[in-house]
Amino acid sequence: MKKLLAWPLTFALAAGSLAACGPKEEEGGKEAGKEADKPKQLTIWEDKEKGIGTQDAIKAFEKKYGIKVKLEEKPMLDQQEKLRLDGRSGKGPDIITTPHDRVGPLALEGLIAPIKVSDETKKLYTESSINALTYDGNLYGLPKSTETPVFVYNKALMEKAPETLDELKGDKFGAEYSYLANWTDFYFAHGVLSGMGGYVFKDDNGTLDPSDVGLANDGGVEGLDYITSWYKEGLFPKGIIGKDAGQTIDALFTTKKAASVMNGPWSFQPYKDAGIDIGVAPLPKLPNGEYVKTFIGVKGYFVSSYSKNQEWATKLVEFITNEENSKVRFEKTAEIPPVVKLMEDPIIADNEAAKAVAIQSERGVPMPNIPEMAEVWTPAANALQLSATGKSDAQKALEGAVKQINQNIETNHKKK
Amino acid sequence: MTYQKKAMLLSVIPGLGQIFNKQWLKGSLFLLLAASYFIVFFNTLNMGLWGIVTLGEVPFRDHSVFLLVEGIIALIIIAIGLGFYAFNLYDASQNGKKRDQGIALNTLREQYLTVVDKGFPYLMVGPGFFLLIFVVIFPILFMILLAFTNYDLYHSPPAKLVEWVGIQNFIDIFALDLWRETFISVFAWTIIWTFSATTLQVAIGIFLAVVVNQKDLKFKGLIRTLLILPWAVPAFVSILIFSGLFNESFGAINMQILASLGIDSIEWMTDPFYSKIALIFIQSWLGFPFVMAMTTGVLQSIPEELYEAATVDGASTFDKFKAITLPMILFATAPILITQYTFNFNNFNVIYLFNAGGPPVAGQNAGGTDILISWIYSLTMTSSQYSKAAAITVLLSIVIVTVALYNFRKTKSFKDEGTI
Repeated sequence: MKKLLAWPLTFALAAGSLAACGPKEEEGGKEAGKEADKPKQLTIWEDKEKGIGTQDAIKAFEKKYGIKVKLEEKPMLDQQEKLRLDGRSGKGPDIITTPHDRVGPLALEGLIAPIKVSDETKKLYTESSINALTYDGNLYGLPKSTETPVFVYNKALMEKAPETLDELKGDKFGAEYSYLANWTDFYFAHGVLSGMGGYVFKDDNGTLDPSDVGLANDGGVEGLDYITSWYKEGLFPKGIIGKDAGQTIDALFTTKKAASVMNGPWSFQPYKDAGIDIGVAPLPKLPNGEYVKTFIGVKGYFVSSYSKNQEWATKLVEFITNEENSKVRFEKTAEIPPVVKLMEDPIIADNEAAKAVAIQSERGVPMPNIPEMAEVWTPAANALQLSATGKSDAQKALEGAVKQINQNIETNHKKK
Repeated sequence: MTYQKKAMLLSVIPGLGQIFNKQWLKGSLFLLLAASYFIVFFNTLNMGLWGIVTLGEVPFRDHSVFLLVEGIIALIIIAIGLGFYAFNLYDASQNGKKRDQGIALNTLREQYLTVVDKGFPYLMVGPGFFLLIFVVIFPILFMILLAFTNYDLYHSPPAKLVEWVGIQNFIDIFALDLWRETFISVFAWTIIWTFSATTLQVAIGIFLAVVVNQKDLKFKGLIRTLLILPWAVPAFVSILIFSGLFNESFGAINMQILASLGIDSIEWMTDPFYSKIALIFIQSWLGFPFVMAMTTGVLQSIPEELYEAATVDGASTFDKFKAITLPMILFATAPILITQYTFNFNNFNVIYLFNAGGPPVAGQNAGGTDILISWIYSLTMTSSQYSKAAAITVLLSIVIVTVALYNFRKTKSFKDEGTI
């Protein structure tokens, strides 16, 4: 009997002593309004093999402010995962490089901090690129480069890029396929759907509304019908449906079986390496006379919320993305900076490929950066595939996708 | 009061009982160990226990996931400490009992010899076991505990805190339509997949082994080598090549093989039914060599006399196979065959590399060929549903563990060793 009583007593004692434990409050907060002390060193994580474009700017910054800057190259998509662990342990960087569609999740997790820059600084960059780096009304970084799919053609088969996509339906240009696009991948297909009037999330003056998905509106359905027509008329082979489509398209283009393709700037060098004399142009117009509104991707520099010198880190971000340093970076890495003045600079205006990407970027829309976007890719791609294979008509497929996107957002993105 | 009771009571503070028993060195060693335990681990235990109960109170200062980790470590340390404490009490009481009975206690030298002699196996197993706690038990505990939290994108540290939610995740899986429907259909296909693919690969393996083992067959070595090749090529390479072969408009299977037979192209990648057929075929191809190699080994050890006796009794070839060969094979290999089933139940590679769980099925959260494990993967990677994925993993583990336990209990080879 005694033993029976002893146990609850022991637990009660243990619980009582537990109440007193835990971390002790750290004393004192930051004093506001004081100019931040100069740190000895700032660390910046740059994308793999792109450090060469930032080196000179960093040297100039070190000279001007007397702060040492450590440049480390890390694969861009790994940086988020690394920051999670290194940031907490204090070994993390002050600045990271990341594509803009990660901004929402990163900001939600609290891994990156909002930055304060003047309106003049913001005006240096195209509006769409600044929008891409803004989440929930706060600007989180400054743009480094922009990219979007364009029209790539084989100059040996096609003299110049056509005006409209329909021109490509009639002529084969001496190849098996006049034109190929990975239109069962929503990243590429979005341009057609939204060019016709569909949209992913309603854009409410720069804020995206995840409760309003517009893929199944009249424009979206018309867009998917147009995409499906390419498969139905046998212009696109069935083998470019699904997960291996991208590789198959690359193979068909480099073996000269396709005269032109829709692809992004990352593909230019591999195509040239394969011995194709490529021409690059903005995408031809849709049958309704509108431009293809491709997704724009913006890479940017962001300040880690673990950084102890956020003000100086912001200064460094501003410095390396200013007009002069962006120009140097373009020369070294060929990644196009969305700096307004550079777009008209001969260095870009006279470069066929860069100009095509720059023009197409102005016609596109930034890929949504809110976390709800993660729920769009698979259902949207499924709808594209169901319609392209003729298993379902466009209207039904898209309505099903929107229903599923809404359902997924509701279950996976409950905000509390 | 007997010595036994006194010694045990004194050992409430570790070591005192031993000192009371006049085992000075052992006693002071225990006392020292206990003292250092509290000095060294005080902070870890303090933070860890507070952390695992609250999972943090202030965002940014407290990181819930790290606190959970520290909490689990604290629990493990407490378990080790309690084990030591229990041993200390037991030791004091046993030696007290000896004094009560007037038996002389072990001298220092004898104590040392006992430890080295009787404790030797434990000393050897010790380091490995200790490592096991951190590389096996620790992650499992972490995963199980995660299933009872609300850890997802919107409750991600450092900006937010993770909270305990009890069995809410399990309730959601069965109560919300989207989750329940997907779970049931994925689970059903997982079972069908496991049984059909594994049974087929086992049947083919045994059949080929028996055929190749026929006495009058020439070039046995060559034939065996050829048959074992699918095993020699890394599976993920074979799967990627198969995925190319099955491509609907360029793949060799539709373009060359079926076309030459005058059969229309089959939608291997975009029709769920044919995708499933293709997957079962690929897995059989990948899996049969292992079963065949194993069966061949068993066949060599079946005594020839059995067959001779059967021949004398007038048994046909099929009778011999049914009554001698097959029982012998299954008896010897059953435990390994069952692990083949559990392996396929969790065979992520072939599902993911062939078609990434596709093709899509309208009105469902997972693809047409997604099995539980590949579904969990996409849940974690695309939707950051960490706690839900952990909950489904717990459900999945229940199945695997049940099968494994049943398997080990039924198998004689594991039983005999249990009684040392």
